[in-house]
Amino acid sequence: MAKITLKVPKGAVSMQEGKLVEWFVNDGDPVSLGQAIYAIETEKTTMEIECPFEGTFKRLGEVGETYKVGYPIAEIEQ
Amino acid sequence: MSNQALPNALPQDIALLIYTTMVRIHACDQRIQQLLAAGALQFQYYPCGGQEAIPASIAPHLHKEDQVVTTYRGVHDIVAKGTPMVEIIAEMMGKITGTSKGKGGAMHLSDPDAGLMVTTGIVGAGMPIANGLALAAKLKGTGRVVVVNFGDGASNIGAFNESVNMAALWDLPIVFLCQNNAYAEYTSFEGSTKSANIADRAAGYGMAGETVDGTDPDAMHAAAGRAITRARNGEGPTLLECMALRLQGHSFGSEEGHMDQEKLAAARANPPIAKFRASLIERGNATAEDLDTIDADAKQEVEDAVEKSMAADMPNESELYTDIFADASAVPYSSPTTTAAEPDLSDREVVTVPMVVAITEALDIALGEDPDVFLIGEDIADPAGGVAKATAGLSTKHGVDRVRPSPISEQAIIGAAIGASLNGMKPVAEIMINDFSMVCMDQIANHAAKLRYMSGGRTSVPIVIRTVTAGNVGNFAAQHSQSLEAWFTHIPGIKVVAPSTAADAKGLLLAAIADPDPVLVLEPMRCYFVPDEVPVGRYEIPLGKAAVRREGTDVTLISYGWCSVEANAAADALAEVGVSAEVIDLRSLVPLDLDTCVTSVKKTGRCVIAHAAVEFSGFGAELAAKLSEELYGQLKAPIKRVGARYTPVPFTPSLESMHFPNAARIKDTAESLMK
Repeated sequence: MAKITLKVPKGAVSMQEGKLVEWFVNDGDPVSLGQAIYAIETEKTTMEIECPFEGTFKRLGEVGETYKVGYPIAEIEQ
Repeated sequence: MSNQALPNALPQDIALLIYTTMVRIHACDQRIQQLLAAGALQFQYYPCGGQEAIPASIAPHLHKEDQVVTTYRGVHDIVAKGTPMVEIIAEMMGKITGTSKGKGGAMHLSDPDAGLMVTTGIVGAGMPIANGLALAAKLKGTGRVVVVNFGDGASNIGAFNESVNMAALWDLPIVFLCQNNAYAEYTSFEGSTKSANIADRAAGYGMAGETVDGTDPDAMHAAAGRAITRARNGEGPTLLECMALRLQGHSFGSEEGHMDQEKLAAARANPPIAKFRASLIERGNATAEDLDTIDADAKQEVEDAVEKSMAADMPNESELYTDIFADASAVPYSSPTTTAAEPDLSDREVVTVPMVVAITEALDIALGEDPDVFLIGEDIADPAGGVAKATAGLSTKHGVDRVRPSPISEQAIIGAAIGASLNGMKPVAEIMINDFSMVCMDQIANHAAKLRYMSGGRTSVPIVIRTVTAGNVGNFAAQHSQSLEAWFTHIPGIKVVAPSTAADAKGLLLAAIADPDPVLVLEPMRCYFVPDEVPVGRYEIPLGKAAVRREGTDVTLISYGWCSVEANAAADALAEVGVSAEVIDLRSLVPLDLDTCVTSVKKTGRCVIAHAAVEFSGFGAELAAKLSEELYGQLKAPIKRVGARYTPVPFTPSLESMHFPNAARIKDTAESLMK
């Protein structure tokens, strides 16, 4: 079983951090490619993040918290 | 509509091949961006959306042996040239299974097996190197064609002018493939040039030029065919400008405010792949189901590549210092260091000739024994024979193909040498004066020095760059007298040698030509015309082996280049006042013979490092620091440096003599350490 870490993406060149505003999936949910998994708010916009792999989802971040780009926010176990 | 209704319509098999390549490119490009968007990967990425049809339409004309050079926005070119998807994705992830063992990364893929020779991150820098690939093809008669990709923005950079001019002059088998996506990073085409288009510039260089719709595979394939046929038939280069609007910002996640929103929306609504797909169905070349299968296969290919790459390892510590040089022991301060033994020349006949003649003889020997050796530089052919006559007679003996006089185009000279070396040749480039090397520093520092590492050892650049340091010969002034070795020793990947005797100049040059890495040879004009003893015939002085010019017990004088002459004179003067100086001539700065220096300074406890270069931030600072670390507590006095004063080299003799170090200053400094 491979575990893939999803980090806070650098959605824009100037982006330094983002606030986790909502989870669209629960811990332990099966997820599929392209499914919306969470929303993150930056200075400019709110982005819905699409799932990059199939697998089982695990939340690592907390709604309402602000995380730097690169912070491990979720995991997908395959 | 049938095929007959389209006069330029592609044959069905070619059309489907192009479509397949386009969707493979698209699947790869989209998947990378999806991984970036989700935070599964993080790096700067320059998407190719909108430009897929360009390399896909060129590919059917190219043989595997033909070569491609591309830029950081180049994944489409790379997929189309045939680099395996799994190696592309793995390299982007920094994995050991990538094209370059993860050492090059997303901006620097190379896959010589597929003919993908260089991916550069420097705008416009691929063109001079591509010329060199094409020059090697021409000299060796391989029939190979080179396609160099660059953007409209790169058409406004100096390397473009130097490269297209040289390629036209020499009828090189190359296609200058300008992918005009309407934006140079964040600036529009119109904001970058008054030219109506790029292809029209070709006429000014005396070469063919054509503008084509790069989103239309029928037109694109036909135009590429004309250009490649021209190159293959020995009819010279073509500047082929392919128009294809960029469908996204400059890099992944970057703003699009600088783009024409109306045009962007229209192009996105009907992108090249969708347009071609509809056309193929309309022509009856394929059904929607056929194309769905191709689409699904492309996605699956990428998915398999992603899965394999995710599971692969990143390179471990053992890879850090490999691929800088062919042999990791050449890395400064590496342990253990290995150097070849000094040749025994004791029974050789010796002739008395100046250094310049010894250099000419070395070049003559190299040209005579290896058909892959050639010389390139300004004014090097007869009757000029080089501004200092270092190549006198060589073009008459070996021909102008191999002793190749070039336009005054330093970037194109070094690029041609680099490219030819990538194809197995052993070029010796001449940059007339060390100061001029600054106009081609990008080719030297970003390309010659780095290609081995950036390709994970899959390519190498065994070139020699000869250049004169003209200091202290009188009145050459601020832009023709500098010793810039520290600029080069600071760049990992290039070797630097600085002879002071004619015998060393000959032996080091022959060793440099035989060396598998790029070597900069600094030839001191101060010593060029002074008669000196030189062994006859071939011999090599190993790189990385210092010479102890005289033994002594009180102080070590370390120098190199023409300043060694001053160090020897200083030792004579010191002997007269009862100070025994040991004199070391480094000869080679990278690789560096630290052991000889440490052994000597350990013995004497005192050290003066002298060089013609400006003392501040000079090579002596590095060596002094290292010796101080190695010999902490064992020194009788602080290590001193004697370099040039912190001034541009003055013209007038009264000031020039104060600028440069000399025997008196070295002697006074050494003497001060004895108190």
